[in-house]
Amino acid sequence: MNIGLFGQYVANGLMLGVIYAMVAVGFTLFFGVLDVIKFSHGDVLTVGAFAGLATYIGLTALGFTSPWAQLFVVILVATAAMAVLGALIARYLVLPLRTSPPLNTLLLTLMLGSALRECVRLFYPQGANPKPFPRLLPQDSLALGSFSLRLDNALLLLGGLAAIAGVHLLISRTRLGLAIRAVAQDGETARIMGIDFERVVLLTFALGSALAALAGVMNGLYYNEINFSIGLLLGVIGFSAAVVGGLGNIYGAILGGFLFAALQTIGAVALPAAFPQLPSAYKDVFAFAAVIAFMAWRPTGLIAERSAERV
Amino acid sequence: MNLVAIAAITAYAVFLLRAESQAAVLGLIVLAVAGVPVLGKTGFLHKLNESFEKHKKTTLIGVLVALSVLVALFYDQHFVMLMLASVLLYTVACLGLTVQFGYAGVVNFAGAAFLGVGGYASAVLGPHLPHLLVLAIGGLLAALVGSVLILPILRTRGHYAALITVAFGLLFRTFVEVNDALGGPQGMQVKGMNLFGWDLNTGLGEASFYANYVAVGFALAAAAFWLVRRLERSWIGLSLDAVRLDETACAVFGIDVARWKIFAFTFGNFFAGVAGAAYAMMTGFVAPNSFTFGDSLILVSIVLLGGLGNLWGVALGAAIVLVLPEKLQALQEYRFLLYAVLVIAILLVRPAGLIPRRARRYFA
Amino acid sequence: MENRISHFAAAFALGLALAGSAWADKQTVRIAFIGPLTGGVSANGIGGRNSADLAVRLRNDDPKAKYHYELVSLDDECKPNIAVQAATKAASDNSIIAGVTHYCSVTAIATVDTYHKFGFPVVVWGAVLPDVTYRNKYPEVHRVNGTMINQNDVAAKFMTGMKYRRWVVIHDTTDYGKAHDKYFTEYLTKYGGQVVGRYGVTADQQDFTAELTKAKELNPDVIYFGGLTPIGVRIRSQMEKLGIHAVFEGTSGIKSDSYIDGLGPKLAEGSLSFIEGAPWEKLPGGLFFTGKYAQAKYDQGPEAYGPFAFAAANLLMDTIEKVGPSRRKVVDELRHVRDKDSIIGKISFDDAGQNVVPLISKYVVQDGKWVLWEDSEYGSGKRKLK
Repeated sequence: MNIGLFGQYVANGLMLGVIYAMVAVGFTLFFGVLDVIKFSHGDVLTVGAFAGLATYIGLTALGFTSPWAQLFVVILVATAAMAVLGALIARYLVLPLRTSPPLNTLLLTLMLGSALRECVRLFYPQGANPKPFPRLLPQDSLALGSFSLRLDNALLLLGGLAAIAGVHLLISRTRLGLAIRAVAQDGETARIMGIDFERVVLLTFALGSALAALAGVMNGLYYNEINFSIGLLLGVIGFSAAVVGGLGNIYGAILGGFLFAALQTIGAVALPAAFPQLPSAYKDVFAFAAVIAFMAWRPTGLIAERSAERV
Repeated sequence: MNLVAIAAITAYAVFLLRAESQAAVLGLIVLAVAGVPVLGKTGFLHKLNESFEKHKKTTLIGVLVALSVLVALFYDQHFVMLMLASVLLYTVACLGLTVQFGYAGVVNFAGAAFLGVGGYASAVLGPHLPHLLVLAIGGLLAALVGSVLILPILRTRGHYAALITVAFGLLFRTFVEVNDALGGPQGMQVKGMNLFGWDLNTGLGEASFYANYVAVGFALAAAAFWLVRRLERSWIGLSLDAVRLDETACAVFGIDVARWKIFAFTFGNFFAGVAGAAYAMMTGFVAPNSFTFGDSLILVSIVLLGGLGNLWGVALGAAIVLVLPEKLQALQEYRFLLYAVLVIAILLVRPAGLIPRRARRYFA
Repeated sequence: MENRISHFAAAFALGLALAGSAWADKQTVRIAFIGPLTGGVSANGIGGRNSADLAVRLRNDDPKAKYHYELVSLDDECKPNIAVQAATKAASDNSIIAGVTHYCSVTAIATVDTYHKFGFPVVVWGAVLPDVTYRNKYPEVHRVNGTMINQNDVAAKFMTGMKYRRWVVIHDTTDYGKAHDKYFTEYLTKYGGQVVGRYGVTADQQDFTAELTKAKELNPDVIYFGGLTPIGVRIRSQMEKLGIHAVFEGTSGIKSDSYIDGLGPKLAEGSLSFIEGAPWEKLPGGLFFTGKYAQAKYDQGPEAYGPFAFAAANLLMDTIEKVGPSRRKVVDELRHVRDKDSIIGKISFDDAGQNVVPLISKYVVQDGKWVLWEDSEYGSGKRKLK
């Protein structure tokens, strides 16, 4: 394999990794503050992507065609709408189930996920079919041998990294971040310290969902196509990445995201090279087996939860 | 009181199964959705649960009579019998999962995979071995396949363990899909059940042949119910509860946590395997598409919806989760949306499930 | 949206009117439609449902029809166990005479035993796996669409005839994709083409950049894709992303308007597809169908197999008109269907109930439309495939 192709694989893998990491960060945030897994997260991403697409169509219909301005409005509307949706979900569906077994929250959000997915399929015009997503980023590309670096991909990669860095700064440097960390560590004590528990939870859900919406729009910009079921797989992968990284830990989620992307790329590329007679479809079997083996090796993920359990 | 309740539930079931038009189905569902919170608020459900526990004999007889009434009314209707048999077989599988989720606290998101192991076992072995043996082997194989996961599951907890089973469920499905020896994506035909020369695929007289499967399903469900109930009441059940509630305390008191987790996991998978084998013989077909992550989640919904750890809840959950989407067929492409919304509504009014398991009582 | 509600209301009103036996002068005959109405391939299922529904409506508007027809639609979710449930529901209901059934091959093959057991005549409208009709050869099971065997024979011959030599095959790992891979490779080798790379992908996969980067390295003339529209769209658009300039050759699974909608006309340009049956756009019935379908204002298009569902429903209703609403008579009569006109060309069943389709139509996307190859500027040599 020449170096150009290798570069291409790395570029593909990085892009996937950024999107996975953004989804995983959401899972890990929710788990941090409420100790719940919100399975509808992937579908919030889908709704975000479709909200972005609808905004774009609306803007074009209004005769507003500057790509940069369009991009800005698309992202703004998608993230804002999903932030509100996320907070609403937390307020009316997740918080009421606080006192019941955590698995019930999981069931509820699972059902919510299918409801959201079905809504997109049924109520977005022709929603059951794949939709083209506009190319709002410059398409120039730089060819270096067999490696072609496209400007839009590079921008997306940077944008995703910037978003993750932004969330990290928010969590580690602001008062809100401090409150989120406090609630994550010990909800009761945080309350005693005068932190409005419910508000922090709602804001965290808004933050995570906005991030998912951004990931959805990026996913659309990258593949130039979205469909109602993108969230299903991204949700499962994002959840897995968050767990593999170590739930509740942002760095873990990011690492997990990139790990999954690497695993997938390697599975598709290296496996057929190593075992030419094995059908390439076995790559998924390989990936899932790797996850199981990994969890047996690191039972609490790459970066374990910091506070040890007091016995 | 519980006889009245059982009669009411049976009557409701009869009406729901009879209901054909959209309006009638929706009306009945609205009635239930409105009725459950009222019953819950007035403490009726709680009392009913207590009473079920207290008058075990009458409850049992009541349920038997109710089931016979259903069979007597619908014995010649294939579709109703098929649904009834499916509910019973899913109850068997979910009773197994209840031991895992509800007692030992071992989560398992690969239920459909173990159902699938049983199903494929009956597809491969059905033509060669007596079918009662095939059912047992299906269960044993599921337990055996599950034992691959024992090490990672023992090392992990909570959501980490959940991820392992999620990965396994996806792995199983992909594996059978790409593996041509097991029929690949096209699946395999399964022979109908034949017990000691009795071909279950021929109906007796006017009766639907599915009524035979209802009988088998009922026998299996009753056996599973009895076994799990005995287990719950025994010292094993106590140990399992202890493992779920506090592993550290368990270890301190000399309860071997690993041993009980392995026991619960294997026991549950065995049930799923047996149910899967019987279900495959009934539907006559297995294919990877029937054992997706979504199908595992269906099993989990059954376990949770009825109330985690409550055996009657499992049966109720199975009935709701399997029959409701079928009755919503009239809504065609909208049915899944409405189904999801209904489950959300149920969880909001009954956050701990329809009839949650009550705490053990020392003075009973 | 408004449209949808009014539809619902209309359907509901229709139902009420039926219950009030407004058609007392005509006996009501029920036929079933089974297909995937929810889930990943629901676009095709709903397209088929609408087409069958259209056939029933048109028949009911016809004063010459002896019976009044009612369509009972059931969802099989593209899952074998749910399909068996739906099949049992339809087949055990004696008021339902026959069925237009299944888009997914796995559901079609899972239910043949059920139909046979109940003596319930069905006409398959979408599933392409040869085994559906040929494995058991049940007299109850028929199929109007062709199998994938002839489709790939023609595709391989046609493409090698255009002097393409090197193929990369991407197929989904469902029975549909796998069988396409099998038959296409078989015929391609026969006609002298070469498969240089083969990738199986799962039906819900979103990212194909790893596979496609490898494919790029192999530098094929053609990328053959055996699978359905959703991943077809993804693969075609990611090919562009990676700068792969091979011809994109699909199967009947991508011949849908949503393929072009999903990609936009520029990217879709030059994609190829092969589908069984006469080119229905060219038959008078085909134009009639598209016209009526547009008039009925369904909110989803008929998709590639809609015309087959329409033809299947019509075939059943014609048969019922002729022999009366009896399952046994319908089964007997369907056995003798030869050269029957329909919007998809002549229908002739062989001894297994399979429509022997002599004709395969070749399509290419030109300016945002699927155009018959012979009529296209590519066919006339005015434009060139890459």
